[in-house]
Amino acid sequence: MSDALEAEETFLDRYPAEAKVVRSAFLGSFLALTLGAIFGIIQTLHRTGIFRGLIDSSDYYTVLTAHGVFLVISFTVFFLVGLFTWAVVRSLDRPLVNIKITWTWYLLMAGGMTMTGISILAGLTDAIDMSADVLYTFYAPLQAHPLFYTGLAVFIVGSWLAGADWFRTWLAWREDNPGERIPLQTFMVLTTMIMWYIASSAVAASVLIFLLPWSLGLIESVNPTLTRTLFWFFGHPVVYFWLMPAYLLWYTVLPSIAGGRLFSDPLARVVFVLFLLLSTPVGIHHQYLDPGIAEGFKFISMTNTMFLLLPSLLTAFTVVASVEYGARQRGGTGVFGWLRSLPWRDPAFTGMMLAGLMFAAGGFSGMVNAGMNINYMIHNTIWVPGHFHLTVGTAVALTFMAATYWLWPQITNKPVYSRQIGLFQVVLWFIGMALMSNAMHAQGLLGVPRRTAEPEYSGFEYPVAFGGFEELNVQIAIGGTLLFLSTVLFIGNLVLTMGNPRVSGLAETIRPALSGPDDAPKVLDDLRIWVGIAVTLVVLAYALPLAAIINDGGLLGPGVGTYPVWIDTAVGALAEVAVPAAWSLVDALAFVGARLLEAAASGVMA
Amino acid sequence: MSRTETAGASVDDASGDEEFDPVGTLALIAVYFAILLIAWVYIYFIEFLGRDLVVVG
Amino acid sequence: MHIHAYEKIWLALSIVLILLLLGSVTYGAVGPGVAMVADSEAQIDANALDEDDRFAEPRVEQVGENEYEAYVVSYQFGFDPSPIVVPENSTVTLQITSRDVIHGFEVAGTNANTMAVPGEVAEITVEVGEPQEYGIVCNEYCGAGHHGMEGKLHVVTEEEFESEDGGDSE
Repeated sequence: MSDALEAEETFLDRYPAEAKVVRSAFLGSFLALTLGAIFGIIQTLHRTGIFRGLIDSSDYYTVLTAHGVFLVISFTVFFLVGLFTWAVVRSLDRPLVNIKITWTWYLLMAGGMTMTGISILAGLTDAIDMSADVLYTFYAPLQAHPLFYTGLAVFIVGSWLAGADWFRTWLAWREDNPGERIPLQTFMVLTTMIMWYIASSAVAASVLIFLLPWSLGLIESVNPTLTRTLFWFFGHPVVYFWLMPAYLLWYTVLPSIAGGRLFSDPLARVVFVLFLLLSTPVGIHHQYLDPGIAEGFKFISMTNTMFLLLPSLLTAFTVVASVEYGARQRGGTGVFGWLRSLPWRDPAFTGMMLAGLMFAAGGFSGMVNAGMNINYMIHNTIWVPGHFHLTVGTAVALTFMAATYWLWPQITNKPVYSRQIGLFQVVLWFIGMALMSNAMHAQGLLGVPRRTAEPEYSGFEYPVAFGGFEELNVQIAIGGTLLFLSTVLFIGNLVLTMGNPRVSGLAETIRPALSGPDDAPKVLDDLRIWVGIAVTLVVLAYALPLAAIINDGGLLGPGVGTYPVWIDTAVGALAEVAVPAAWSLVDALAFVGARLLEAAASGVMA
Repeated sequence: MSRTETAGASVDDASGDEEFDPVGTLALIAVYFAILLIAWVYIYFIEFLGRDLVVVG
Repeated sequence: MHIHAYEKIWLALSIVLILLLLGSVTYGAVGPGVAMVADSEAQIDANALDEDDRFAEPRVEQVGENEYEAYVVSYQFGFDPSPIVVPENSTVTLQITSRDVIHGFEVAGTNANTMAVPGEVAEITVEVGEPQEYGIVCNEYCGAGHHGMEGKLHVVTEEEFESEDGGDSE
């Protein structure tokens, strides 16, 4: 790299204590990735009917819950906290205020996730009377073991402390650097965390006020529409919580890897502010087909959602322009010819570019998901997982893996074991996902539902279009297998990398933007204004729907039962027998009582 | 002094003061726009509105 | 703030795209008249469906000339009634609820699709055409037997509908 002055030290050289935090976070993340991938391959082969010998169909949902929670909560968020710690410390060029607090939040998050993980995995064995087969969305009145909700709450509190840690570090920096612009990476971290505080407040409320007390038997019932709405209040912005670290890498790391520079620092700031403002007041678009929510609220949510396309479309331009600048610097010419001058042999570069390409495709299926009435066509079909395997499953996951090839040497001083394997691995992911996701979208259009162990039915056949159901199943299975292999290669390469000796001279640099922060209006850095507007928009979007739901159904629901997935089947069966038996007893007593009364009455009459 | 993008001015800049025109990006993104438009018209007006059992109330 | 001219072009195109998407959805609502499941029906006690005059006996009922209402209960793990039998070329309003957990109600391969939430009643109206047999699937995870949860929608000829209606009190 040309910037020799900067490139003398790696992150590990300069901040060894923080580098250890980043490493630990990444290792937690990759452990979750490994588990998630194992459950992923079991699930792919089971669902498509290729191999159903390993698990029962009723255990499929344990596997599915584990796949979802480990990948979209554990893998993504642990990577995020590692990356954000790196980004804040690196861009402010100062250590964290108090590393003990840093380890506290790390342990809270790890402990919370372990609790939740145990409650899920216990579902695979009959030896432990515990289960949390409620999937990642944990819709009531399906009820998980209390440990599941407790772990989630602890995990979220840990993430809040992590945010506080970065905010404190920034405030300390600001005292020493009055009047300076917030460095871009720190700006991205802070805006993302504000969004997270707003979004996660709802799911924390749902868990702490309703679901946890309910699972402990302290309250009798919950309002399923209310807890569902609170989930999606969090459930859509969490998508951007996964995505923002990838955006941070695309904006600040990818251009440098391409030999270019960020095209525009001000626009990057605008994009992150737009995500802060618009990520949350859109959750109702996951509930277009819910009864109990008025059409007007759904329309408002759609309008906000469509405008949320804007920051992503702007990102596409800015990031590609930054990469094109790099290609031109490397001697690239022509309208499309410059694409040949990019460092395609670098797994970090190619991985992130392929991730971005997949995200562009995911943008289209996302537009369909966001369209209010077209949702009838694809709602809860396998089209939807097809979509989010492009976004979180590739735009995010592949970017994280690609970035690891660049970042891991910075935090360990160990060169990557094999860049060739790395390159092969990222391309394999792309091919696997192209196959799997495309077939999932196509099956969705046939009406094949998501979240089922056996998508074939006895009473009817799916129509044939875009290839038949069976043929698409084979494509999904092949794609899923390639993705599993790609994960194995990634983890294997990383493990071998850990065996490499530490060396010097691995330092990489991040080059400044073409249009720097001085071109950005100062108001962008005034976070209080954006917090105010973001909260206002959330109140406008959610106050009336939530009031209507509580008004109509009550805080604890209009008489809805409890359906624990975690009570042992024997106990369940016993309850099933005992409850009717008890009622018959009551009936019998009432009958006898009535007869006695009658007899007494007739006696009196006589 | 932060070790960041804010250190803008101090680094060599091969492009000088001349503004960089991302022609290739504009071309790529125009292609993307066209694909989005065609795909949307197909999926909304043909695939969705052409299906059985349109919900009308 | 300095924004490159090309990026301004892209920004304008992006806004055009967003307006086009919103416009299409609005056209779908106003032109072909696609309506959303909403809060048209009041909440009910999911534990006392047998006291509700619609859902105590899930059935199809004629409510007007060529207009029918189907009262459907979803439960772990099935739909009642199944099959839902309606005459050809009629307007059918489906009222769907759940007596236990959240389910999905999807007539596979069509646009008839909604959530079935305990305590809520989802109402969708569709126009059925020629006689045909459709499959209904539960498209929301509802418990260990979820994958076995299916139902049927039979669109039959007038004559068949009359005879079935006569022969079966349901």
